[in-house]
Order: sequence, then C-alpha cells, then structure tokens
Amino acid sequence: MKRYNLAVIGAGPAGLSAAIEAKKHGMEKVAVFDENSRPGGQLFKQIHKFFGSKEHKAKIRGFKIGEDLLAEAEALGVDVHLNSVVAGIYFPMKRLGVIENECLINYSADNIIIATGANENFIPFDGWTLPGVIGAGAAQTMMNLHGVQPGKKILMVGSGNVGLVVSFQLLQAGCEVAAVIDAAPRVGGYGVHASKVARTGVPFYLSHTVVKAEGEDHVTGAVIAQVDSHFKPVPGTEKHIEVDTICMAVGLTPMSKLCSMAGCKMVDKGGAVPETDKYGATSIEGLYAAGDVAGIEEASSAMITGRISALAACRKDCYITDGEFEKEYDELEGSINKLRKGMFSHENKGRTDITKTDEGIDLSMTLLTKGYVSDREIERFPGVVKEKGVHPVIECTQNIPCNPCQDACKFGCISVGEDITSLPYVNKASRCTGCGMCVANCSGQAIFLVNDDFEPGYSTVTIPYEFIPRPSIGDKGTALSRGGEAVCEAEVVDIKVSPVFDHTALLTMKVPKDMSMKARFYKGKEAL
Amino acid sequence: MSRYLDRSADIGEFIPQPDDDLIICRCEEITKGEIRKAVHLGMWTMTEVKRLIRPGMGLCQGQTCSKHVKGVIAKELHISPAELDDLTARPPMRPVEMGVFGNEVESHE
Repeated sequence: MKRYNLAVIGAGPAGLSAAIEAKKHGMEKVAVFDENSRPGGQLFKQIHKFFGSKEHKAKIRGFKIGEDLLAEAEALGVDVHLNSVVAGIYFPMKRLGVIENECLINYSADNIIIATGANENFIPFDGWTLPGVIGAGAAQTMMNLHGVQPGKKILMVGSGNVGLVVSFQLLQAGCEVAAVIDAAPRVGGYGVHASKVARTGVPFYLSHTVVKAEGEDHVTGAVIAQVDSHFKPVPGTEKHIEVDTICMAVGLTPMSKLCSMAGCKMVDKGGAVPETDKYGATSIEGLYAAGDVAGIEEASSAMITGRISALAACRKDCYITDGEFEKEYDELEGSINKLRKGMFSHENKGRTDITKTDEGIDLSMTLLTKGYVSDREIERFPGVVKEKGVHPVIECTQNIPCNPCQDACKFGCISVGEDITSLPYVNKASRCTGCGMCVANCSGQAIFLVNDDFEPGYSTVTIPYEFIPRPSIGDKGTALSRGGEAVCEAEVVDIKVSPVFDHTALLTMKVPKDMSMKARFYKGKEAL
Repeated sequence: MSRYLDRSADIGEFIPQPDDDLIICRCEEITKGEIRKAVHLGMWTMTEVKRLIRPGMGLCQGQTCSKHVKGVIAKELHISPAELDDLTARPPMRPVEMGVFGNEVESHE
C-alpha cells in the first residue's frame, strides 16, 4: 500500500498551502486529494481582489492566488490527485479509502490534514426546490468557471461577503440583480462590498426574508417579506419581485464529516467542527484540520492555518526542530492575527451593537441598512478630504484588515498605519499626481480621484470600473450616486487601462462641480 | 454535544401545520409534516428519523438538509437543536456505485 508522509484532503487554499509547506520542510511524499476535476477549491471562482496586506496576497485576484499555489505545489512535487473522493478515513490505521477512476484505492499516511472546507447553507421556503433557486457558490461556478449566466434577473438572499461579492459578479456577468435581502437588520459583509453593488442601483432590503419562490416548473418570481425581531415574516409586508433566479448566500457549514468519521472530538461552532489546538491538531494524533472545516473564515486565513498544520506535522515527525517550529509559527500567528482583527473578526461576529470605528468615528448607519454611505455621513471619515486639484477620496469607513492603498501610493499620500484594520487617511493630498494606482489597487473599490479644478463649473471623478464593454472617451451617460440614483449627466473624459491596474479600468467622468462628491458610478446611455 | 433525551417528556399531540407539505430533504422528498409525524411516533433522534423515513439518505447524504431536519425535530421536542446529535458519519462520504466497491485495488509505491 502506498504510504505518504502527509495526505491532505481538499485542494483548496488551506490544503494546497499545507502541502507546499510540508514539501518545503523536507517531507518527501505529500499528496493532496480533491473530489473536483479542478484544484483550488473556491479560489478559482474568486475573481475579485483579496483583502489583507502584502503578506496575505492582498490586491491579487483569488483565481490568480489559486494558480500560483497550484504551480508551486506542482513544482515542489506534490502528488495532486483530482477527481478523487476520499470516501472513508480509518483510524488508528491512518488509512484513506479513495475512489479514483472507478476504483477503490487505499492509501496510508503518517499525517492527515483535513481541509475539506465548507458547504453552503440553504433555508427551506415555499418553492425552494424549484429550478432557479441556487446557491451563491453554484452561481459563481456557472459564471466564473463555465461562462454561463445563472439567470437574467436575480434575487440575492444574504448580505454577507459571499452574497455581496457574488451579487457584484452577477452584475459583471451582465445579469440584473433585483435586490439583495437579509433577515438580519444589518448588512453582514464588508461595507465596501455592499457599496460597489449599491452604487450600480441594486436596492437592499434588510430585515427581509424570502417566503416564496413562484413558478410552475421554474422560478418566475419571488415573494419577500419583512421579518420581526424573531425573524418571523410580518403578515401584510409581502412584496412581489419579478426574478428568474433566487440565489442563496445564507452562510456556510464546515464539511467536517470526515473528522467525525475519524473519531475526532467535535464541538459546535455554527456546525460541528473538530476540537483543535492552535496548530490545528485534533484530538487524534497525526490528524489535523485546517481552513473552513475547523471554523469558517476567509481564504486568506485558510492559507495560513493550512501552513500551520503542516508545520505541526513536520515537527511531530522531526522534519524540523522545536526551535524552527516556534520561529515559523510565531511569524504565521502574527500574520493571521492581523487578519483576525477589526469589526468583522470572529469575536465580533454577529454583533449588532458596534456603533463606532476603532478611531471613535460613528459608523455609517445608512451603509449598514442600505448598503451605501450617505452624502452627509461620508464627510466624517479620514479618507475623505477636499483639496485643490486632483486628490484621492477614500470611502473606506469600517475597520477591515486591508492596506494595499498605503503601498499603492508612491508619493505617500495615503496612510493606514501599523494596524491594517485602521481606516486609511489622506495626508499631503497636494502630492497627488492623479496616477490612479490607489483607485486600481483598492480591493474594495472604495477610492476615487476627485478634481474640482478640472474646468470652470466642472469637476472630474475617477472611478474603478470592472465592467465590459468599457465606455470610450467622449461617451455621454449618467452619473449615479452612492445609492445608485441618477444624479446628473456625465461625460467620459478618460479611460485608463494598464497591466499594473490588473483589469480594473479607471474611468474619469466630467460632472458639474457640485456633483463631485455625489457621483460615484457611470452608466452608459444604452445601459439605461 | 447532546444530552440525555428525556423520553418520558410530554411533547403533546401532533397538530397539523399549514407548511407541513414543505419539502425539507430534497433528495428523498421528505416533508416537514412527515418528519414531525415521525417525532410523534417516538423517533426522537436524527438517526431514528433517518431510519424510519430516510431524510439524509439521498444523493447529498444530508449535506443540505441535516440542519433543517435537526431544526424540525428539535422544535417538535421543544429543545435546542444543539441538544441533538448529528447523524453518525460513515463511509462512503459520497454515494458510490456498488461496482466501484467491487473494484478495490492496491496502491503501489
């Protein structure tokens, strides 16, 4: 029987990172098993730029991170088994029963890292089994892997980061998003993700749930209703929305069945997860859990927890000394702790009582209930300044772990500081050359360039633009506000594309001077 | 996670509800009403309900419906879902054709 030093189950961000780390530290035989035909887990569906800082691969798009991880794993000689279902896991023999090529093949391994990720939650409602009710992950698979629109007009249920990111991707794929709804009273995901959806004109309905999918043999509409404080629909508040697709993004549950099959001690953390120490070691010697299967987090964290588990396995089998382990672990722990800070951290999950940023600034309540910061609220954030000439306006209003803007500006206009969850602020705006690197590098698409001295009576606003077809210079259309309302006519005066912008185009539009702090999106005439 | 279920507790009569025909387990097409009735027949754990009426035994192996089945049972028993054990995790993780099981081969170095 083939024996591996390490067998990793799941070729997502955690699994691939674990395999790479083990190989780098001298483990000879390392395998990764994945039931899918493509490795990378969810990474290959992630077309947006990631958050974090440089060490977390911030501002790189998810699928690119996946490609890099896979190339690295292959270069290091990791044995990647695709279309391979780990059907069973057997302890204490440390054996895996794997279905490959219509055969059942048994492997043994000295160490096993379970990195199977999570699966999507659903909520049952009248008509939820109709074709057209799909998971957000399925929508991403259709759009981003297969180039297929999941529908023409979509209702997104769930305003967490998955719901918001997928809503934006649906818009990019040319679908119409009729609304984003959430039973919670507050938008669950990052405000910047919500804002880029809201400014295109998508309405947000908080404290709303879907009560019915209409249609005979496929979805032809949805009925939503307001919910009370116990999340029960309030009779009489039903609204009909015409859609052909209902997309569910209502949370994830760790796919931890293999852990319990192996006999790990399990605990309940929004679904059963194996009890682990800080290295990901479960109650069973030689068995580790990394990534979402050990508790839902972001892909950026999964890459780190995967590496930590692999290091722990390397230490156990004496590939590295205790001293080496401690040194590397401390570094990784420091790195993951940076991501685990801020108002969206684990400890703050589900909290609805946070009203101020770490800096003591009142949070935008419009952002939490409608998905965008109001004109009045935006003024109080440190990234929003009024200056002569062209300068950045940073509409980043929540403490999220992210700082690429600070590195993007070569002229030192933007600072985040030591703590990557701090709000960015603009210093010495006069140094701004209008290069637009900050606009393109902001993973949250929250930076704009404003020039109030463009020509008498007119200003320009430069926005990040990730839609095709791109407008051309001279095109005339409508400027939309942060909330997606048409505010004035706009003329495209520049459209910049560059490899360093990584597919984010910088669209500069000319608007009347009094609109420079209102206009935040451009809609071409034909699109209206 | 679970505590000892007090089998002598009185959970009352089965009272029909308007959404009893709501499908909970898509793969096996088991409705909320069927699960509730099973509870009133004395099936008080996930395993018992599964053995009687098969929710979680279809294509997805309970990946989607487990949470919902648990919620329905817990509500009927007037307890928190956290007090109910998950289904026992058994191989195979995914549905596997019998022919594949017959094709067991040795892996080689």
